[in-house]
Amino acid sequence: MKNKIGVYICMCGSNISDYVDVEKVKAVAEKIDGVHVAKTTMFACADSTQQEIENDIKEQNLDAIVVASCSPKLHLYTFRNVAIRGGINPYNYVQVNIREQGSWAHSNTPPLATEKAINLVKGGIERVKHSKELTPIKIPSVNAAAVIGAGIAGMRAALELAEMGTTVHLIEREHFVGGRTSQWNVLFTTNETGQEVITRLYHQINSHRKITLYTGTEIIEKKGSVGEFNLTLKIKPRYIKPDCKLDKEKLEKAIAVCPIEVDDDFNFNITKRKAIYKNFDSEFPEIPAIDSELCNKCGECVKICDDIDLNQLPEEKIISVGAIQLCTGFNPYEPTKGEFGYKEIDNVITLQQFKRLIELNGAKLIYNNKEIKNIAYIYCVGSRQIDGPNKYCSRYCCTSAIHTSVLVKKKYPHINNFHFNRGIRTYGKQEKLYHEASEAGDIFLQSFEEAPPQVEKTGNETIVKIKDILTANEELEVCADLVVLVTGMVPREYEGIVHLLKVPLGRDKFFNEVHPKLRPVETVIDGVMISGACQAPLNITESVKSALAAGSKVNSLISSGEIELEPTMAIVHNDRCNWCDECTNACPYNAISKVIVKGKELAEVSKALCKGCGMCLPVCPVNAIDLIGYTDIEMESMIEALVN
Amino acid sequence: MARINPDFAKEIFKYGNDDFNACYNCGNCTAVCSLSDKDNSFPRKMVRATVLGLDEKITSSLDPWLCYYCGDCATTCPRQANPGELMMSLRRWLTAKYDWTGLSGLMYKSLFFSLFSFIAVAIAVILFSAQLSFNTEAIMHFGHQFEMWAIIAVFTLIITPNLARMWWFVILKPDIKVKFKTYFREFKELLIHMFTQKRTLGCDDSQTRWFMHLVLVFGYLALLFTTVVLDWFGTENLFIILLGYVESIAILVITFIFVIGRIKQNREVNKFSQPSDWFFVIWLFLLGFTAFIVRGFIDLSIIETNLWLYLFHLIVLVQWALIIVPFGKWTHFLYRSFAMYFEKVKQAL
Repeated sequence: MKNKIGVYICMCGSNISDYVDVEKVKAVAEKIDGVHVAKTTMFACADSTQQEIENDIKEQNLDAIVVASCSPKLHLYTFRNVAIRGGINPYNYVQVNIREQGSWAHSNTPPLATEKAINLVKGGIERVKHSKELTPIKIPSVNAAAVIGAGIAGMRAALELAEMGTTVHLIEREHFVGGRTSQWNVLFTTNETGQEVITRLYHQINSHRKITLYTGTEIIEKKGSVGEFNLTLKIKPRYIKPDCKLDKEKLEKAIAVCPIEVDDDFNFNITKRKAIYKNFDSEFPEIPAIDSELCNKCGECVKICDDIDLNQLPEEKIISVGAIQLCTGFNPYEPTKGEFGYKEIDNVITLQQFKRLIELNGAKLIYNNKEIKNIAYIYCVGSRQIDGPNKYCSRYCCTSAIHTSVLVKKKYPHINNFHFNRGIRTYGKQEKLYHEASEAGDIFLQSFEEAPPQVEKTGNETIVKIKDILTANEELEVCADLVVLVTGMVPREYEGIVHLLKVPLGRDKFFNEVHPKLRPVETVIDGVMISGACQAPLNITESVKSALAAGSKVNSLISSGEIELEPTMAIVHNDRCNWCDECTNACPYNAISKVIVKGKELAEVSKALCKGCGMCLPVCPVNAIDLIGYTDIEMESMIEALVN
Repeated sequence: MARINPDFAKEIFKYGNDDFNACYNCGNCTAVCSLSDKDNSFPRKMVRATVLGLDEKITSSLDPWLCYYCGDCATTCPRQANPGELMMSLRRWLTAKYDWTGLSGLMYKSLFFSLFSFIAVAIAVILFSAQLSFNTEAIMHFGHQFEMWAIIAVFTLIITPNLARMWWFVILKPDIKVKFKTYFREFKELLIHMFTQKRTLGCDDSQTRWFMHLVLVFGYLALLFTTVVLDWFGTENLFIILLGYVESIAILVITFIFVIGRIKQNREVNKFSQPSDWFFVIWLFLLGFTAFIVRGFIDLSIIETNLWLYLFHLIVLVQWALIIVPFGKWTHFLYRSFAMYFEKVKQAL
């Protein structure tokens, strides 16, 4: 029991004191048993006040402190550090929130706000009386990281981590690296092509001794937790002999004889490819691959090219890493059949298909054997939906569509671009592109979400109609040779990873960070970071920024060989526990497992996995679990104070 | 339902402004314009109609004529789309559109064609003088006769039909029902705006522009009257002689200031000059200047020995009367005042 408690009531300038009578709160607090000193202060977080609290602890030998101010989300660590500087354990400090939960919430009824503040402070004092000295838990960590996804974010993160001294396992599901970036041609603002950027990164990665690249590889099992995850990798066979000197001519012939033909997803299904394939000439690894799910092992290719070995088998490998960085990227939104005529009208395609189409076309822009003159771009397809699930703005598509229209006009100057948008969002430097496109004569037509443009086929003409809000809602139409649906980003359809790692998904189904501003690349799972377009729609620049941020987080977490964790966690009283499995089902972090101690089945909490959320406490039928930092006695005495 | 026509913008490029595509419809131009109001909101709407190629909207609109080009919109435009110069270009395009002969359009779009007609007219005058054996008296008599007949011919054959076309485009074709008597009731508007250009005073820029323009208009009309009706070059009346001198000095001084302004490009209104603008202001200057010198030579009794001077004046005069008045910038004098008149008529519904 603490009995020399310091209580500080903050006015927060006037944020609190305008509504809460802080003097009255102080008067009540100082009469409570165990309170040694009670003060009001203009700003508890001011340096001078921090110093004052520190001196009080030292001079008056306080054994615990309570600060009644704002939310602990803002200043918990500020005052924990004050406690440490004063010489007491940081866990003998309790923050009471009388601003967000007091003055701000009840600004219409100041007397009641005061009453609530008094009760909250009473509760805080009772809680701190029972607080225990706690020390953070330290667990060992391996200085190795798994970076999942070798797109631009993953490749860049892998390099950065390796440069900082962390061993990197770069794991790619496809047979080739580069992800989406390799599918784009010229990029804004550098005018490099996606392939060039990927080629450069690939060479750097390949020559870095701390990076191991796995292609055609998926994670099928995860054990352990932050500091030491053990991941089982399944590596698909490539069916090409390793270290062979590829005879390009023979290989071309081998590709030609392959009888299996499917839509080429690298070109977003506007072309076909064989079961044995490579996506573009200098793609990496430079060895082609045979799609094991398609190949029927007819052996035609082996007859021509003896570098092919159809007898290769999938391999499994276990790696040990301290942390995991997810860079699994996005999928372009696939419009539903009939959405703006998609898959019903033959000249309606997506932006991604169009970008490939421009690259594949020569001197004339031809689609469906027809030369293209008028192109209608329909924006926000699959984003900012009113009825659909994708409420978010995909952020990159306005710029991408305009960039594409500028490129297409440079390559084919006679083309007319018509942009059917819902407000152009080319933020930052991208505004220059918007300006460039307008100046070049691109026409921008705008409508609200409730009146989207209509695509109709009348005779041989494809007509796009809009009620243009920039022309006093007048109905205008364009006869389009090609309709390009500017489709946004959607999360990939994750199967393995989400379940294995229990990565939380946001409402938009992208991976969710802890806090969008304060902890933007961390997840609630310790040791699992997210970056790039798996987290939210991001462009390449933004993806790389988040990849580097997450990489630094990974490195700073695991590089010292030791990880410090909050001591707030569940503890099982072995004498009471008689293993019923209720707590394991309730735990969202898989932190509880069954152990047998002296022949008795018991629940055990993993120190590395437990986040101290408290979900297991109420389900325990024999009340065998306690939460350190929030023990039953602390909570009960607090509730007692609140209700009396 | 209107179909968008991006080729129209390329047509307008030939009439001056080729920056308007940069417009992103913020509306700053309309907000800052001191003449734009609820009934006639411009210039953004006109920029939009041009970008989309909604030419019928422009032909039926009076907005381009209601703008007096202070240039505030151009200086405010965040995208340098220059809406003021677009309104000017649309006035040129409308002048071409109203003209049934199609020659206005050729003049605006082709500098070659304009120069060709000026040269052709000059040669015709010289050949005609040769036919009169370069007899000073006969040529001066012809010059006086020409003025009267040219005015009558140009007005009946070109200007009146073109004004009728304007009327058709802005009132009859859009099927605006106007009572017959409204045309009479609002007729005063036409005269007020024709002779005062008072709408210019609504512009935010310096009002000396309006004053100089007013002096020029009166100087020009008065000189026309003095030469055609009072026979300035033939009269002995001292008052008329002096009146003519004053008028021609007024014209040549003010047009000289205008030319210098266009060279210096010191204000928004004179930053962008098309050949049609140069022809108009230079020929007006030449008219005043040569008239002044011709009368001076008459008074010094040296005109007989300096026929070349009168010939030069006559060439300028004929070019003015047969090219610039019917097919050039001169018509804005009428279209602007008729636009105000038609606007009043439309609003009187």
